[in-house]
Amino acid sequence: MSAGGLTRRTMMIPAPRDVAVDRDSIASLFLAAAEGDAAAWKALVEGMTPLVWSVIRAHRLSDADGAEVFQTTWLRLTQHLGRIREPEKVGSWLASTARHECLKVIHAARRVSPVGDLEILDRGSGGDTPEDELIRSEEAAADSERVRQLWQAFEELGETCRRLLRVLMASPRPHYSDVSSALGIPVGSIGPTRQRCLRRLGALLAERGVR
Amino acid sequence: MNGPPPDTDGPGGFPAEPDGPGSFPLGTDGRGRFPGDPDDPDDPAEDDAEAGLEQALRDAAALLDPVPTELVQAAVDAYTLRTLDAELADLTFDSLAEPVLVRGGRQPRLATFHAPGVTIDVEITVMGAIGRVLGQVIPAQPAEIEVRGRRPADVSADAMGRFVCDEVPPGPFSLRCRFPAAVVTTEWIVI
Repeated sequence: MSAGGLTRRTMMIPAPRDVAVDRDSIASLFLAAAEGDAAAWKALVEGMTPLVWSVIRAHRLSDADGAEVFQTTWLRLTQHLGRIREPEKVGSWLASTARHECLKVIHAARRVSPVGDLEILDRGSGGDTPEDELIRSEEAAADSERVRQLWQAFEELGETCRRLLRVLMASPRPHYSDVSSALGIPVGSIGPTRQRCLRRLGALLAERGVR
Repeated sequence: MNGPPPDTDGPGGFPAEPDGPGSFPLGTDGRGRFPGDPDDPDDPAEDDAEAGLEQALRDAAALLDPVPTELVQAAVDAYTLRTLDAELADLTFDSLAEPVLVRGGRQPRLATFHAPGVTIDVEITVMGAIGRVLGQVIPAQPAEIEVRGRRPADVSADAMGRFVCDEVPPGPFSLRCRFPAAVVTTEWIVI
């Protein structure tokens, strides 16, 4: 499969490697935060924000709506700090809460402005983060083009695939129970759907000669 | 599908079990999994031909659609907004979470918050970019109410328990209600 060429090595892109934010450490951080440890809360937030953001983007919320759901999800977690029965499931709780808030925003249809590939791609080229600078630099131009083509192909996938992959690409890779909570789908369906979707993505990339 | 997932907005905080059959049993390998679980995302079985492509997507997302930095900071700051002295009123009903039964029937949005001994009903109407919240405290009683969110404000509930919050901008929204005998905050919702 040609997509095999799209590995970290060939893309030369520094990205946060799957740092160890495992279930145990998340549970410990959560319990410490519940006891009043602000540093633990910060670490918990930093470990879990990519998952929450991925859930929001999987539901195609705009930047504005996404920001509100994101903040509300975390504000609500602070309210549940002292009421947790199973802190190791905080990832599932966050994913599920974000999902339900996303669905409400969609139901309210307050500001319907789904995130399209153009918005994302514009953002990618217009920012000024170190990553953006890197991706704009000359030597990274080829990699940048590859990333754009990958993202474009991803956006062309059907809704089921796009949604699942958007959650799965959270960093660190989410547990399937969290993905299940994020999308309201059975855990058992995730593996097979993931494989089908990634193969389709690989085929799309192959069609356009992306290696 | 197993039917609609349980709404975590209900009372009791964390859902007892996440959706579906995939909830991790406790007391397994310390990460909540059985060793060799075929559904284990970290299982070597998932290290398949597609794993490289999945990682490439993860890298692309980190570059093209990262979590906005200011949002991470806002989530960190949320910790300071905890109201340790207050009882939490759970969101027990939200019309936006219900199927639409009436044509054109998403406004006003009705929500109910419940804490031991007190219920707070709100009716939310959004016109353009500004919301209006009509509320009632049950049982009827006066209260001093702090509107928390993008535009903090103070309002009062009258002897009938009724109150109005005008010009509420979109965003996170919560009420902190000070009664003679207790302080209650409502769960955060998005307006």
